[in-house]
Amino acid sequence: MRLLHNYHYAAAMILFCLGLHTVIVRRNIIKKLIGLNIMETSVFFFYISLGYLKEGIAPIRVGGAEPARMVNPIPQALILTGIVVAVSVTALALSMVILLYRQYGTLDVDRLMREEEKGEAVGGGEV
Amino acid sequence: MGAWRHFPILMIAIPLLGAVLLPFLGYVRENWVPYAAALPLGASSLLGLLLIGRIPSDGYLSYHMGGWEPPFGIEIRVDYAGFFVMLVVCGITMLSLLYSRRYISREVSPGRRTAYYVLFLLMSAAMIGFVATGDIFNLFVFMEILALSSYALVAITGNRNAVRAAFKYLLMGAPSSIMVLLAIGLLYSATGTLNMADLSARIAESGYTEVLTVSYILFVIGFGVKAALFPLHMWLPDAHSIAPSPISALLSGLLVEVCTFALLRITFSVFTREATALVGGTAEAVGVAAAAAVLYGGIMAILQKDLKMMIAYSTISHIGYIFLGLTAFTAEGLTGAMYHMLDHGLAKACLFLCAGNFIYVKGYRRIEDLRGAWREMPWTCFAFAVASISVIAIPPTAGFISKWYLILGNVKAGKWLYTAVLLTGSILAAVYCLRVIYYMFFQAGGEGKWEDAVRDAPPSMLVPVWLLSLGTLFFGVFSYLLIPSLLKASAYLL
Repeated sequence: MRLLHNYHYAAAMILFCLGLHTVIVRRNIIKKLIGLNIMETSVFFFYISLGYLKEGIAPIRVGGAEPARMVNPIPQALILTGIVVAVSVTALALSMVILLYRQYGTLDVDRLMREEEKGEAVGGGEV
Repeated sequence: MGAWRHFPILMIAIPLLGAVLLPFLGYVRENWVPYAAALPLGASSLLGLLLIGRIPSDGYLSYHMGGWEPPFGIEIRVDYAGFFVMLVVCGITMLSLLYSRRYISREVSPGRRTAYYVLFLLMSAAMIGFVATGDIFNLFVFMEILALSSYALVAITGNRNAVRAAFKYLLMGAPSSIMVLLAIGLLYSATGTLNMADLSARIAESGYTEVLTVSYILFVIGFGVKAALFPLHMWLPDAHSIAPSPISALLSGLLVEVCTFALLRITFSVFTREATALVGGTAEAVGVAAAAAVLYGGIMAILQKDLKMMIAYSTISHIGYIFLGLTAFTAEGLTGAMYHMLDHGLAKACLFLCAGNFIYVKGYRRIEDLRGAWREMPWTCFAFAVASISVIAIPPTAGFISKWYLILGNVKAGKWLYTAVLLTGSILAAVYCLRVIYYMFFQAGGEGKWEDAVRDAPPSMLVPVWLLSLGTLFFGVFSYLLIPSLLKASAYLL
């Protein structure tokens, strides 16, 4: 019964696991990044659902609005920061993907790792 | 209320401000940037030094951002253990910055040098803030600044191996950050607060045991990846060995330790002793992983042919030591863990900077190229030897003191197996360090390897190396300056 009542938490966890699965299993690095974003979105969803209230009102104390009906604003404020962080991580990661694609000509993780073994055979990370 | 109460926040704010202003200077005069970058870091180190003696070893200094009272506003909470780590961070970042100028001018292309110093300052500010903050969401924000700047710094040279290592680091680091964010959300849902002191009071009375357990496990995995705890360490050897040497020194000497410290903070200041039943099982698992890390890191270090790769694997082994100190749950173990953060920071930074000297002067990365190196580069080689002694934990160095307390802590907790692991770790360290020293000092140089009258590295690169290696000796001989206060601080944390 508790799970039915808190179905949004379950949904967030399912999304989180899907995202983690994508990050770990997919071989294409763009897909890995999409998985990363799914994970992030699931956590944002979890936070926002924490503060959600049915028929809640904005937390502004004007004209005797009662605090018990107000939506909790803290998770929303936190998630604004979280979204900024997520955007910058994604931007940095995508710029690295561009560099990788230019230098290796592939987006496949397995192939990148094979290149690594070859690189080590001739003397490691030359500068 | 004296002005010194504002020092902790200034220590964070000044490098951040410097990082914002530096690009403008870089646009006008790029050559001045390395000197200008030293100013904000120097200022925060100075403020840190002025704070010495003002932080009680069994209390804390609390600063309320913007004057908002703690449970609602963001609190900067500096206790003795945190202050100790802040000083270590200031000192080592300062020395690596001094070292950077010559090294970076060769290895990083001109257009990126300003970016290097900006990221360097961001990373230092984030590390200081990460240790000082008393608000758990703020911890996440500083962790992300730290992580983003370190991903970018690993890739700063822009060559293919560096970008690949940085991407590997990012692919492991970013999910771990999200796990920490989820853990913070679970904590918030169970307690309704974000302030660490408030959290620790409410966790004890909160009934949501399952939620708290899941949250703690997520914290351990999240920070475990960042700190490269054994099964989650895959990113470390590549990232640490391919990054420019001053950055390797920061990553290996500070970043992993600061993340370990965050886990210490979460375990002892947030979940506290009352919740030990909650975290007990997880702590056991962390202990097993740490013991495996000591052995795995040591054995892999012995097998390496690349000098920086060897030092990176040695870091994995040493992170295991620090975690074994935490999981002992005794004051001695915690003291050993914190002293090991100092000692490992100094010694590892020194080893990486020495490796950087070899790369700078001769371009040698492989251990066998170092045959007979001491004839040409005696200063670098002797500094390397001193730092290695500290890594092995031979008496006059700080490594011995920290190892002693780690072992004492584990003996007091009755964990004999871990004591044996710690001792084995020393033997493994002796094997991989003495092998390099043997090549350096007791083997003749190969044909034409060292003939073209190279002298040692320039003074701006030798001075930081020597200060670090003398630091390991100083804190080994004068350990009585710190150990009693650290013991008290550990008892306070427990």
